[in-house]
Amino acid sequence: MWLITLLLAATLAVSGQDQPQPTTIPEMWGAWCARCHAQDGTGKIDEPTVTVEPMDFTDCKLTTAEPDADWERAIAKGGPGVGLSPQMPAFEDSLTAEQIRGFVSHIRGFCAERGWPNGNTNFPRPIITEKAFPENEFLILPAISHRNGETEMEIKGLYERRLGKRSMFEIGVPVTNDGVDEVEAAVKHALFSNTSSIFAVGLEAAVSRAVTVFEPFISAGTMVRDWYLQGHVKVELPTDRLKAERAFVYNAYIGRDTNGSPQTWTLGVELNGENDELALTPQIRKGLTGTGALAASVGATIPLNERETRGVRWVGYLLWEYLEPWRARK
Amino acid sequence: MGRLLALGILGTLACAQIAAAQTGSVTGTISTTAKGAVPIRVTIDQKVCGAELPDEAIVATAQGQLANAVVILTGVKRAAGAEGTVMNDKCRFAPRVQLARPNSSVKTSSKDPVLHTTQAQLENGRTIFNVAIPVPGITISKPIGAAGVIRLNCNTHPWMRGWMVVTDEAAAISGADGRFTIDNVPPGTYEARVWHEALKGAPQKITITAGKPTEISFQLK
Repeated sequence: MWLITLLLAATLAVSGQDQPQPTTIPEMWGAWCARCHAQDGTGKIDEPTVTVEPMDFTDCKLTTAEPDADWERAIAKGGPGVGLSPQMPAFEDSLTAEQIRGFVSHIRGFCAERGWPNGNTNFPRPIITEKAFPENEFLILPAISHRNGETEMEIKGLYERRLGKRSMFEIGVPVTNDGVDEVEAAVKHALFSNTSSIFAVGLEAAVSRAVTVFEPFISAGTMVRDWYLQGHVKVELPTDRLKAERAFVYNAYIGRDTNGSPQTWTLGVELNGENDELALTPQIRKGLTGTGALAASVGATIPLNERETRGVRWVGYLLWEYLEPWRARK
Repeated sequence: MGRLLALGILGTLACAQIAAAQTGSVTGTISTTAKGAVPIRVTIDQKVCGAELPDEAIVATAQGQLANAVVILTGVKRAAGAEGTVMNDKCRFAPRVQLARPNSSVKTSSKDPVLHTTQAQLENGRTIFNVAIPVPGITISKPIGAAGVIRLNCNTHPWMRGWMVVTDEAAAISGADGRFTIDNVPPGTYEARVWHEALKGAPQKITITAGKPTEISFQLK
C-alpha cells in the first residue's frame, strides 16, 4: 500500500497536479486571464507577456456594446475568431461552454455602471428600418431606381454618434440627381433594454429649402430563437402642409445570420410601408472584415401595390463602426 | 501454422536486408563556433519554471557539436510518420525541434500547473493556431498545412520557443553530440541542406552508395 501511495505521489509531483487548480470562474480569471487582462480587467499589468495591449474591460462602452455570442466566440476561438489579435488563444478545447459563458458574465461585470443597453440587442442593421440600439457608425447609403427611361439616384452619407449610455445623434446628407437639398438630423434614446429586446424613441428633422419635416419615431428589436425581429414606426409632420404631406411610415424586418462569425452573411427581408404604399425589401448583409467593423448590405425594394407609379429601387449600405478596430492587429 | 509464421518472419527479414543493401545512408556531424546565450532569468511562475532556464537557441558541446539542427535530403520523399507531440514541460517546449509531415496534425499538451498557450506561426508571421492549455493533462490536436518552418510561442512565457520543420522529404535532427543519420536513401546524388533556428550553413552535394554510409559534416555560423 505504501508503495502505491509513493508511486501516486511521485506521479502527481511529476505531472504538477499537486498544485491546487482554480475551480471557480473568478479563480480561473485570476490564474489564467489576469496574466494578460489584469485582475481588474483593465489590461494594464506590470510585466506584460504579449505585445498587444488588451482592451480595457472596465470601459463600459466596450464591454456592453456587443452580444454575448461575440464574446463567447472570442474566448472559444481566440482573437482570430473575431478578427482580433492572434495572441489571444483559443479555449474551446479546454473549457466547457458553461465555463465560457461564465467568463463572459465575469467580463461584463467589470463595467461597474448600470444603465447601458444590453449588447445582445445590438442587432444587424436593416437597410431601411431604423435600429433601436445606439451606434457609433458612419454609413454610405446608395439607392437607385429606373422608371420610364429615367434614373433616380441618391447617395446618403450618415454619421451616428453615441451620447452617454443610451442616446445617439445622427446627421445625414442625401445627394440626389439635383444635388444637395436636404439635411437630416436626429436624436434617439433607448428607453428599455434587456437580454433580448430593446425599445427606443427618437425625433428626426429633415430640413430642406422648401420645408422642414419633423419625424418622431419609435424603434424596437427582439430576438426570437436565432431570428432578428426589428420594427420602426414614424410620423412625418411637415411645417408647411402645402409643400409636403403628412405621412405614416412603418418598417418591419426579419432576418438571421448564416453563422456566428463577424463575417457572416445575414439574410433578411423588410416590409416597408408609407400610408397606403407597401413594399418588400429582401436583402443580404455581410461583415467585410474579421472584426465585422466594416459591413455591407444590398437589397431591392419591390412595390407590392401601386406598381404603375412605383418601380423597383435598389438599396444598400456600406457601414463602418469607426471606434472598432476594422481589422486584426498582429 | 508455426512453420508458416517462421517462414513469414524470415522472409520479411530477408526483404529488409535486401532493401538495406539496395539503399545507403547519410550520417555526419553538425558543428559551430557560436556559443549559447546566457541563461534566461525567470520572473514569472518561478514555482513551476524555476528561477533560471537555459537559453536553448544554440545548444552545443564544448567542442562545438551542435544539437537541434535539421538535415534534409532534397528530393528523397518519405512516407507519413506518427503525429508529433509538443509538451509544455517546466516552461519549455519539449522537444525544442521536431519534424512533421505536411497536411498532418500535431498534439500539444502540458505537464505544468500554469496557463500555457501554444501559438504556431508560419515564417511570414501568420498564426495557424493558438490554443490555451490552462491545466496539465489536456491534449489538443491541431492541423498543420504545407511544408515550411513553424515557430511555436507561449504567450504567457515569452522565452518559450519551439520549432517544427514540416517536410515530406527525408530528414533528421542532430542530437546532443551533433550527430545525425538518415537511413534508407536510394543511391544517387542529392543536395543536403541544413536548417537551424539561429545559425545558417551552406547546402552540400552528396552521393549515396548502396550498402554503406556517406559521411558529411556541416559547419554552421
